[in-house]
Amino acid sequence: MSGHLVDLFGGSNAIAVFLITIINFILRGIGSLPLFGFLNPLADWLGTEPVVTSIAWLIAITIMITWAAALHLLTFIWLERKLVARLQDRRGPMITLRKDRYIGGTGYLQQIADALKLIQKENITPKAADPWMFHIAPAFLISTTIVVLVALPFSEGFVVANVPAGLLFILAAFSLAPLAILLAGWAQNNKYAMIGGMRAAAMMMSYEIPMILAVIAVVVLAGSLNPIEIVNQQSQLSILAPLAAIGIANWYIIPQFLGFFIFLLAMLAEQERIPFDFPEAEEEVVHGWLVEYGGMRFGMVYGFKWLRTFVAAALVALLFLGGWHGPVLPQEIWFILKIYFVFFIFIWISWSVPRIRIDQILNIGWRKLIPLGLFNIFLAVLVVHANAQGWI
Amino acid sequence: MVLEAYYPVAIFVLIAISFPFMTYLATRLLREDNPTPLKQTTYECGEVPEGEANVQFNFQYYLFAIMFIVFDVAAIFIILFALIYRDFLALDSLAMTMMAFFILIMTAATLYSLKKEEVYTV
Repeated sequence: MSGHLVDLFGGSNAIAVFLITIINFILRGIGSLPLFGFLNPLADWLGTEPVVTSIAWLIAITIMITWAAALHLLTFIWLERKLVARLQDRRGPMITLRKDRYIGGTGYLQQIADALKLIQKENITPKAADPWMFHIAPAFLISTTIVVLVALPFSEGFVVANVPAGLLFILAAFSLAPLAILLAGWAQNNKYAMIGGMRAAAMMMSYEIPMILAVIAVVVLAGSLNPIEIVNQQSQLSILAPLAAIGIANWYIIPQFLGFFIFLLAMLAEQERIPFDFPEAEEEVVHGWLVEYGGMRFGMVYGFKWLRTFVAAALVALLFLGGWHGPVLPQEIWFILKIYFVFFIFIWISWSVPRIRIDQILNIGWRKLIPLGLFNIFLAVLVVHANAQGWI
Repeated sequence: MVLEAYYPVAIFVLIAISFPFMTYLATRLLREDNPTPLKQTTYECGEVPEGEANVQFNFQYYLFAIMFIVFDVAAIFIILFALIYRDFLALDSLAMTMMAFFILIMTAATLYSLKKEEVYTV
């Protein structure tokens, strides 16, 4: 098994120590002058251990947000636009900086152009809306999405906080979004937004339980709620030894294919992707709960949908595709490759199928996926028993 | 100590909450602000808006909402059970039997209430 490239906290600590050493050097240099002696205690305080650790955490958090919410968010939006265009026999965005080459550019700058445009747009608050709720709802949605990144590991070392109940924390923060959507839908005092918010709530009721059931089956197999531990279990559990011998290891997709399927559907619904996008269906309720938002409020909510996609793809890779385990390449690269693979599946599904109706998702969720999920837990229990008895 | 592992989580939550408000501040500096009564009307596809949207209405998924709450609370118990399931293997199977019984009752109750809720089957 290959090692990991990044040790996030160790690296951040080294950067923090380096910065503080430079600052202290300057401070003590000035402090040696007659009038500036008060700077010396400040330099001493900066050198103490809690301050260094706090600054190291801040650096680690900044790196994580830049890595996920800037780099991969932009790449995801770009990739979705290009792939959808290809699926629809178009070429997608092709904007370049060079004026003479309109055709043939990669179009990666399109997202940045959109953001620059939206950040200058006027912010319109409708007279009828409840202004406080109207402005807090998008902030709530975005905060809860960013919070997920604190416990999401990208390798054994590339994680901000390795907490014991990390998976529970991720799912808890991740599933707060329908509350924000309902809040936004109610606050706008707009009929379309209201219907969209209510649809989001009804949809949440139908996919949340199957998702939790699929996670429970994984927890039964892994015996842990720590994401890193769950991934490491997927290289150790001795089911299907022949596959382990050739290096694919024991990914939970093999004993838990049903759970993988349920979780993938639930994650598609969680992101409000096309088979399940009726909270914001353009043809039915204009743009659902996003109707009245304009400017950067719309831009943030709309853009952060891809951060949710990123987290969803990461969760699928983490729980069922063996996380960062794979031969030869470093852990981070394997994990990113798997995330992009799952994202590719998401795009392909969501642009190939029509939207389902609101009553259909309730039927699918409650009448099909929940019995399947309960059955899936029994399968997981059987696997654990067989493993304990040494049958497999 | 266990809580020390959650120390960065607290910092992260604070930063995550401040992030959208910082963006709001940034747009406030960059955008223009010229509200007119016509802009501030509720959007109803170009028509003059009629009536309020915040009214009491018939929430037809009420039974599902109640069932959802029951399931959501039960899911927490099952997660805790699943977490220590491997430790039960060495012990006697009383706990496992009880949990299997519990899930069985829950499944039966769900199926029964779904059978009663035939309002919008397709």
